This record gives sequence, C-alpha cells and structure tokens, in this order.
Amino acid sequence: MKFKKSLNEHILSLALVTLVMLAVMIIVRTADTRRERQNFDEIETYLKMNFVDFDDPFEKALLKETLNIFEPGNKTRNDSLLAQVDRYRRDQFLKNVSRAGKGTGLSGQKMVELIRMYFKFILAYLITLVLTYYAVQTLAVNRFIHTKQNRQSYLAELIRYIRHHPFLWQGKAVMRYLAGAANLLGKATVKGIGYFIAFSPAYVIAYSFRTEFNTDSLLFMILLGVISNGLLINYANRFYTFLVSESRKGYVETAVVKNLHSSYDTGRKDGISYRAVLSWKKWFPGHVFEHIFINARYQYLTTIKEQASFLITGLIIIEMALNIQGHLCYELLQNILYRHFDVVIVILLGLFYIVKLTELGADYLMHRESQKFENIAID
Amino acid sequence: MSSTIIARFKEFYQQKDYLWALIWGAGILMIWGWDLLYLNEPARRQIEEGFFNTFIIAFMVIVFSALLSWGVTLALYFLEDKIKNIPYSGLNFILNLIRSVPQIIGILLGYLLITYLMATGSLSDTFSTIILTAFVISLFVFLELVDLMRERIAYFKKSDFFNAMRVCGIPEPRIINRDILWKNSWVHLFNKMISIFGITVFLLCSIDFIVSVGLTTDVSTVNFPVTLGSLLAKIDSKQDILAIGNTIGNIGYISNIFFKHLQGITIAFVIVFSLLSIYKISNGFARRYHL
Repeated sequence: MKFKKSLNEHILSLALVTLVMLAVMIIVRTADTRRERQNFDEIETYLKMNFVDFDDPFEKALLKETLNIFEPGNKTRNDSLLAQVDRYRRDQFLKNVSRAGKGTGLSGQKMVELIRMYFKFILAYLITLVLTYYAVQTLAVNRFIHTKQNRQSYLAELIRYIRHHPFLWQGKAVMRYLAGAANLLGKATVKGIGYFIAFSPAYVIAYSFRTEFNTDSLLFMILLGVISNGLLINYANRFYTFLVSESRKGYVETAVVKNLHSSYDTGRKDGISYRAVLSWKKWFPGHVFEHIFINARYQYLTTIKEQASFLITGLIIIEMALNIQGHLCYELLQNILYRHFDVVIVILLGLFYIVKLTELGADYLMHRESQKFENIAID
Repeated sequence: MSSTIIARFKEFYQQKDYLWALIWGAGILMIWGWDLLYLNEPARRQIEEGFFNTFIIAFMVIVFSALLSWGVTLALYFLEDKIKNIPYSGLNFILNLIRSVPQIIGILLGYLLITYLMATGSLSDTFSTIILTAFVISLFVFLELVDLMRERIAYFKKSDFFNAMRVCGIPEPRIINRDILWKNSWVHLFNKMISIFGITVFLLCSIDFIVSVGLTTDVSTVNFPVTLGSLLAKIDSKQDILAIGNTIGNIGYISNIFFKHLQGITIAFVIVFSLLSIYKISNGFARRYHL
C-alpha cells in the first residue's frame, strides 16, 4: 500500500516535471526565434548597406555622424541602433562559432549524441553505485570488527608501543624495536593519506594525476566516483552507526545466551573471517553478527536514495570540472555557455529521470525487505 | 606530574570533537604561517579572502537552512494534523521534487540566476551576492534538517512525554518548538548542522570551480566573491596541483611543492583538510552525546 502510494507520487512528479520542462522548452525556443526576428527587423535596413564595413571603426563612426545629421533629434536612438547592430553581428558570430564546434541547438543528430552520452552516464553511475554499495558495507563491517576487537588507532598503538617497550641498545633488539615502530607509523601514514584522498574533491585528485596518466577515461571517472568527494567515508560511517546501534539491542544478548557465536576474532573458527567480510554477499552463519548485519543493512536501505543522489552530484562535478569532452555534463555546461537552453532542458530532464528511477528502485527494495521482515505477502 | 599531564592528554584525546577542532585550527594556522614566509603577498591575500568568504557563506547556509527547515517542519506538522488536504500534499510534493534535483544542478541553476541578476545590474555589491549564494545553496541542503526535525517530532509523539504535556495543558506549538525541537533535539540538530557545514564547503568549492572553469561570459569571475573553489580553478593553482603528479615520477621534485607551488597546494590542502576535520568533529560530537 505504502509502495503504491510512493509509486503514484513518483509517476506524478515524473509526468509533471516532464510537462513543465517541455513547456519551458517550447517557450524558450519561441521566445528566442521571436527575439531574433525582432532584432533583425529593427536593423535590417542598416545590415543591408553593403557599402558600410561594420568591422571598420572609421566607417561605423561615419555612419553614426550621417545618422545624426539626418535625424538630429534622435541621437540616443541612433546610438542604440548601432549598438544593436554590433550585438546582432556578435551573436551571429558566436552562433557560427558554436556551430563549428558541436554546439548547435536541439536537432535529430544532437539527440542521438545526447542519448549516447546519457547511456554512458547511466553505465558509469550504475557501476559506481554498485561498487560504493559494496565498499560502504565492507568498510563499515571492518571498522565494526576492529572496534569489537578493542583495537585502537595506529597512532595510539604507536604511542603505547613506545611507552611500553623499553628501548635496548642491543644489535637485533634495536632493529626489532625500530621495525615495530616503523610498521605502526607506516600504517598510520597510509591511513592518513587514505583519509585525505577520500575527502578530496574529485577534481583535486584528477588534476594531481593528470600528468601521469589519462584521467579522461570512463574507468578513471568511475574510480573517482567511488573513492573521492567523501562519499565512501561518510556512508561507511553511517552504516557503521547502524551496526553499532543494532549491536546494543536486547536481541543480541539473547542470541549470545542461546549459544550463537559472538567472538569477533578473525583468526578463530567461531569468529569472523576476513573472507566473509570481503565477500560480495556478506554471510556470517551461526554468528550473532549475521543478524546485526541484516538489520543494519535494512536501515541502510533508507539512505540509499540519499547516497545515490550524492553520487550523481559527484559524477556531475567530475564531468564538469574535468571538462571531459563527449560526456553528458560537459555537454550541459557547454550548452549553458552557448545559451542552447533546449539542450540544457533535455539533459536536466534526463538527470531527473535517473534520480527518480533510483528513488523508485530504492522504495521497491525497501518495500520488499519490509515485507520480508514483517511477514506480509508480496502484493 | 607527568602522569597528570598524560591523564589530561588522554582525557582530551577522548574528546574527539574538541581535539579535531584544535587540530583544524592548528593546521590552518600552520599553513598560514608557512604562506606568510614563502608565498607572495597578493596571492596570500587572495587565499585569505577566499578562505573567509567560503566559511562565511557556509555559516550563512547553516543559518538559512535552520530557519527554512524550522518553518517548513512546522508548516508540514500543522498542515498534516489540522487540514489533511492539498496544502500538505502540495508542500510535500515540492519538497520531494527539490530532493530529486541533484544538489549541484540546483545550485548551478541558482548561479545562473545570480549571473543574470549581476548582468542586469540588480546585484552589484559583494555582500548581497554572498547572501544570495548562501540562500541558493541552503535551498538544496536544508531538507536533511527537515527530515531530522520531523523524525524527532515523530519519535516524541509516540512516547508518553507528548501526551502527558498535552494533558497538563501545555499548548502544542510550545511542546513542538520548545520541548521537542529546542530542549530535546538541539544535540541532534547541531550535529546535523556540522555535517551540512561540511557538505556546503564541498558544494561551494565545487560549483565555484566549475563556474570559474567554464561558465562565465557576460559576468566575469571577478564579480563573484572569491572563494577557495574559484581560486583553485585559476590556471596557476591548477599548475600547482599538477605538480603533485610530477613528484610521483620524479620524487626529487617534492621539495619544490612546498615552496614554488604554494598557492594551489595551500588551497587544495585547506579544502581537503577542512572537509576531513569537519567530518571528524561531527563524529566526535556524535560520540560525546551518544547519538
């Protein structure tokens, strides 16, 4: 029932936005044509004067003087007419320039190009979404296990190591001591760099590596989408919070009393193996964490919509900021620049559809899971 | 004596929000001191201006978001409760529509409006531009606060707390505003505001970078308030960032990064370090109050 309501709402908003956007597109196109025609009508007589070279400032000044002599009372109007001629010629020039590039307005060929770019964008988006879905859960589970093992940060471990291990000036002992400290310091540094990369906006990472390899490929875009913009860390943190809050609930203790495994040691048979943590379909049979994980994942589904929307924002930023030619959002930026608002509207509509369909998918997933949990027959 | 210091340090170390606020402040001061020594004055002044503008806008976004979300939450609450008809559904529909627009696209369209207002001369001074920019961004980030406020109200409405207060004759608006949202939710709301602050810094830098890279014909970037994003888009900053890649192939070049490429490196560092610190502060705050 709830899903049907949300389905109706999504369909209504899709229909409404499509209608509004199409109406705006028609208005924009009509207004553009009318304005162009009106501008041309007003200055047509002057543009047809083949003997005047409008590129020559002297001839332009001469025309102005002549106009002022013929119509002495209309000096301001004459000035504005000449300014209009300049503007019209500049617009025509820009139009030609944009045509020389790929910047024509909406046409059949343009639509084909846009559709190709659109599917490329969808492909990148879907792959990134799936990868982040996996990575978010893996990182969060790994962090949760570390917390349960009472492991501290590498830096804290290093401080403890220095405080509790006496430094001995004896051949191998010195080496062992330094190796232990260097190991922890190295791990802390790698983690720190990892954090910096995870929080870097995609364009900072891309420009950093632009001299080393091609950053314009689809593969690099997907990689950036996954690791940058803080997406992974933020949503992994959210999943981790769900895991922690689930682990505090009463059923966990009941399950432990009923002899479900509860050790978080990765080396023990009744613990949790890294293989299970890293596997695509996470499964921890006989362990209390299985239930914690399933319940946390159910809550995480509610944030999928938000994550997907943020992911799309990230991909748009990547395509726009890196000026990756032949990509949908670069095309969007170019068409805003050339004022081809019909193309802009089509692209915006396409992006809106992606978000809406993702929301619909997330709602359906949530609905299906809810029915599983609440033991209701799927309608 | 030393054990007391260690105990105090340990105590401070446990309070991650304060610790990271301190680390952020110290990091920013350190890089500013370094720039004072090695970066030319005009570039340094621009970075300072960009830094302050970015954080002023982010702060304003928080204020606008708080006001907008408070108003919208109350409107939704009372419309849902009292009328149950078109206004409630309409408002909900509009909010869902805003939610479905990718934030960066919404803000980009807002920037087009600001550009238009600048071109027509309706928007001439920097302060008005800053306020309008903050308002545009807040329109696309405030919904997270609305969701949280509605969640808090729903949570308390389910408990006896709400009905008990109603029975005592306390008016509903007072329970919602004072007792639920103000007294019992400020920690949650404050934590959300910290994360919105981080999102705003990220979105602002990104949109300014994009706009500066390829969206200015009628209005020059000079007219927009300088932010860290627009500074990063400058060609010399980009070259500085490219230098990081150079060091991968030529490790001996690394020393130049801290002296010759300071402008771009400083801006990139401030952005990334601030985002990381804000995340850590928000996490620490959540842990302190067991959110």
